[in-house]
Parts: sequence; C-alpha cells; structure tokens
Amino acid sequence: MSAEEVGALVPGALDAPFWDAWKADETFLLHRCSICGRHDWPASCCVEHGAGPMVWTPTSGAGVIDTYTIFYHAYMKDLASEVPYTIAVVRLDEGPYFHTRIVGVAPQDVKSGMRVRVRKGQGDPFPLFVPE
Amino acid sequence: MTSGSIAIVGMGVTRQGRGLGVTEVELRRQALELALLDAGVERDAIDGYILASHEREDLRYLGLSPNFSWPVQTGGATAPCTFIMAAGAILSGQAEMVACAYGMAPSSGGMPGFGGPMSFGSLGYGYPAQVGMIGAASAHALHARWHMDHYGTTSRHMGAVAVQLRNHALNRPDAMTYGKPITLEDHQASPMVVDPFHMLDCCRDTDGGAVFLLTSAERARTMGQKRPIFLLGAGMGHNIGNWHKRDVYAHHDDIAPAAARAFAQAGVSLDDIDTAQFYDPFTISIIMQLEHYGFCKPGQGGPFVESGGIALDGPIPANTGGGQISGFYAAGFTPLIEAMKQLRGEAGATQVRDARLALASGHGLNGGVQNTWSHGTLILGAEA
Repeated sequence: MSAEEVGALVPGALDAPFWDAWKADETFLLHRCSICGRHDWPASCCVEHGAGPMVWTPTSGAGVIDTYTIFYHAYMKDLASEVPYTIAVVRLDEGPYFHTRIVGVAPQDVKSGMRVRVRKGQGDPFPLFVPE
Repeated sequence: MTSGSIAIVGMGVTRQGRGLGVTEVELRRQALELALLDAGVERDAIDGYILASHEREDLRYLGLSPNFSWPVQTGGATAPCTFIMAAGAILSGQAEMVACAYGMAPSSGGMPGFGGPMSFGSLGYGYPAQVGMIGAASAHALHARWHMDHYGTTSRHMGAVAVQLRNHALNRPDAMTYGKPITLEDHQASPMVVDPFHMLDCCRDTDGGAVFLLTSAERARTMGQKRPIFLLGAGMGHNIGNWHKRDVYAHHDDIAPAAARAFAQAGVSLDDIDTAQFYDPFTISIIMQLEHYGFCKPGQGGPFVESGGIALDGPIPANTGGGQISGFYAAGFTPLIEAMKQLRGEAGATQVRDARLALASGHGLNGGVQNTWSHGTLILGAEA
C-alpha cells in the first residue's frame, strides 16, 4: 500500500458543531439526547428517542482505552515521523466510543483500561488523547 | 425458507492468484462458463443474475438475458447474501435458475481505498483514517487486542491458527501457498504489520472469479448434476446493534441471531456440522468465530486451535483449503467454494471423510463505523 497524505481535516457536515467548538476553545462536545441523557458520537439519532431531542453538549473529554492497535508502518506520509503510533478506541465517561491517536506515552506502555483525556493547548486539529 | 428447497447445481471457480491481469468482468465470464459446464446447462437457462458488486456491463458481455440483474454489496458477507437473495427470487417465482457471480481483481489495482485516494466516509466513518488508522488489519487488530486483554489469548495462539491453515493449504494445489510450509517460529519472526498482527496473521488480496448456479431442489433432481448441494439454512446478523449497545469489540460479528436462524431452518445442531468454513482475513477471525458459534467456550479459541481443534482429525475441521490467509481471498466466496468442494468430495488431500453438512460464514462492510460488520451464516448439505 502506498503512503497516503493525511492532509487537512475533513469534518463530517453533520458534526460541524463539534468541530466549531473544538476549534474555538477546545471544548469537547458530544451529541446528547435531552430526554434520556444518552450521549453519542459522531452525530446520531438516539436509539430510543430519535433525532429531535439531540443537542450538542460540552463533556469531560475523558475515558478509558477499550482496545487499541499499534502502527509500525507509515501508511500516511504525514505520520511517518510518528511511527510507531497507537490508535485507540476510547470509551468516553459519558458512554460513546471515540477513535483517536494516543500521544505522550510510548506504544509499549499503552494498556487497555488506561485512563486517558483529550490533549489541550497544542492546537491539535483533531482531538488526540494523553494518559490522565 | 424450507430446509433443502434450494439446490446449488453449478460451481465455476477461475484461477485465483496475485496480479492475474484479467479484468473483473472477464473473470466472471470465465467463472460463468465453468459453472454452466459443471451444471450441464446452457446460457439461456439463467433467468436471474445476482452480482456481488456494482457493474452494468455484465449481462451484455456475458451474453445473458435474465429477468433481473441485482447488484449487492455487503462486503465479505455478500456471498451468503447472494444465496439468500437467489433463494428468495426462486421461491417467489421470479426465476428458475439464478447465477450468483463474483469476480474481483484487487491485486491488479483499482479498488478504491486500497492504495488509491480515500474519501471521507469511504470506510463508513472517516475520522479514524484521519488520525492514522488505515486498513482492514488495524480494524481486526482492535478485536484481537480486546480478546488478548480479556482472555489471555496470545500471539502464539494466533500463530497456531496460521500454521494450521498452512498445513491444510500446503497439500492443496488450488491454494496460493501450496507446498510452502511454515512454522510457529516463522509466524513469530514475520514482520509486525499492526500490533498484534504479524504478516503471517494476514491474508493478501488475490484476483479471481466464482459463479454459483442455484435452482429449486425439485428442478435439481431432474438435471444431470450428479452432486447437487442443498441450501439448508441461512441467517444474517449485523454488528451495528452492538455499537448502539457499546459492546463492539467482543463481537467479531453478530453471529448469535444469524446462527440461531440458520440452524433452526436447517433443523440441525452444531454437533451435526462436519466441517466449518469461516471468513478468515486474519487469524483472530477463526478464534472468535469458533467461540461465537459455540465450537468451544468463550476465550478458548486459541487453545482449541493449538490442540488441533480445526485439524482434519479434530472436533471441527475448519478452513480446510487454507482459508483466505493461506488459500486465496475471494471475499465471502472463499468459504463457500471450500464448503462446496467438501460436500462434493472434491477437497483432495484435505477432504473431510464423509462430509455431509458444512457451515460457511461471511463477514464485512460496516454499518457506519469500522468493526460493525455485517454477517451471514449458511448451512449447506449433501442431502436435502
């Protein structure tokens, strides 16, 4: 497989409020059902109450690593200097899964169940997570 | 569906290999010719066409004049899906003989997302790719890591799967790795692709075509085909439900409802299955499916394979052609082809003695995020 360019972030149109808030002041929003309080990511219908009650809401941006994988090859040119890097699925404290890259910790030290939180203050276009 | 009301009366399988340089529609033409020959029927017998892909030119190029042509794409679960759709068409009177066709040439280039540019959402959910998660191996690695951390499954367990598949394939001339043994040490020493997968945990894209001809069991009995195979049960499931329940990674597929439906239709139990042919792009796929179907206890898939569980003389001989990893990757058609060969007694050196009932699975195309795969289970029998 040839190396690909990461390029500029391509946000999904339905998730625009999330990206606007993240870009503005690194607020981490999730899509929340105002009837039952279930949170989702990305933009979703509540499985119980549909799309009507869904509201973008500030959340903790923290959770635990549910599972992860480590990349040893630079399939993307822009990430060549990051190899090896860790991709994890974080189970956010509010419930939803969030796929991200784990930074600030060596891949061999990453463990399932490790608490992580979104990294702020680094101007990350995409929210990356660090150990808590 | 009534058990045994549908028969598979023709199978055509082209050469399967890397970089064949044959177009996809030509692969399907070649497979169709072989299937017609196998069934002993002419082109004009085909009055339904189901293509595991999207393409307009098949009917013109293949010289077919059916009542309908349906494209279907649910990833690696497409193969069992085409059989279910064919059964529906036959039982609802839309066709008497349906061709289920596959032909892909990914290793000759051209598949979007495999070396070419990827668009947002091309994998159903564009964000993981934007942080560097590329390829099917990494998605399955998430299942594998979950399994290791919850059950203590090891890389050597996955290596045992790789070695067992190779042991099947090395005696099969129709496998890509015919005559090429590997050891557990070879597996452990092969380069790391995405943790925890080594290179020998992964299949490779191959080019090839396959066509199956399905008709009513009633008509099958009046035909020249000496060994019709019968569709006894079918079921599909979707792992997106486990995304909504937030329990994705423990589930390689949503097998439980699919298997329950398929076994109920077939009126058989797991103990009756003589051979299983699992969709196996990565070694963890066999470990998890053995558990989800109930061939072994949860978490015991690795030790089960290590102790010879899927060997020819084991409790459930599985992926006897080497599977996708050591045989060839014809998406969900790889397990169907091998199930057919076993039931027809055409599996050569890895023939399971007196194989009468086979299980075949399919798996693929997510429901909006990777790992939320679609799934299909088929139960095929040598008798109706």
